[in-house]
Amino acid sequence: MNDLLAIMLVNLIIWVGLFAYVYRLDRRVGRMEDS
Amino acid sequence: MTRKILIWSLFAGMCLVIWGAFLYAPSAQGFAGESARIVFFHVPTAWVATLAFLVSCVASIRYLRGRDPRDDVRARVAAGLGLLGAILATVTGSIFARIMWGSYWNWDPRETSITFLLLIYAAYFALRGAVADPERRATLAAVYSILAFVTVPFLVFVVPRVYWSLHPDTVINTQGELKMDSRMFQVLMASLAGFSGLFVWLYTVGCRLELIRHRREQEEL
Repeated sequence: MNDLLAIMLVNLIIWVGLFAYVYRLDRRVGRMEDS
Repeated sequence: MTRKILIWSLFAGMCLVIWGAFLYAPSAQGFAGESARIVFFHVPTAWVATLAFLVSCVASIRYLRGRDPRDDVRARVAAGLGLLGAILATVTGSIFARIMWGSYWNWDPRETSITFLLLIYAAYFALRGAVADPERRATLAAVYSILAFVTVPFLVFVVPRVYWSLHPDTVINTQGELKMDSRMFQVLMASLAGFSGLFVWLYTVGCRLELIRHRREQEEL
């Protein structure tokens, strides 16, 4: 159970990091389109 | 506003999928330890790769018909995401193989066919890199992308089912039976939806970025 929880948390961290990166890129692209 | 809602729904949905993959779905029988849980990431990445290659093929057909450079951009972005999906599917499959059979690579029919797929689409980018003239590059890449996609159903769906394989029995199988726990199936479907949504988002952002770059290059010329 602890191992699964640890792997789940690692996956969540990876997902949050990926999401943050793409979200920031999305916003930057939006600013480039507006300029 | 709708777009923001969709993006944050994707975030929440994928968090739920990750929770479901490890804490909601039960352990699968006949697999070493909890290795079967990799299916919630392995299958969707393979699905995204197939979807992305199809999108690339369609964009390539549109390019050959209308010669709109934007379709070439779309084809390239989709092919890149497809290649990424195929690499992730290969990596997750190798991890599973290591746990189940003690070896990362066995030259199993499915492993062999995904290798061919990776080489075929890596060659797409090699082709693009080798041609300097933009129009000729786009035309050759479009033709290649269409021909490359002809191999995808064969390599992804047919070959692995023709030969005996170490690969676990698939959801789409010859018996027409669902050999998966209902909770596992729910999480798998949610994961497929989540990864598909992620692909759409990455594809749209990638296309927008590349189109801006393309437009700026045209303005400089």
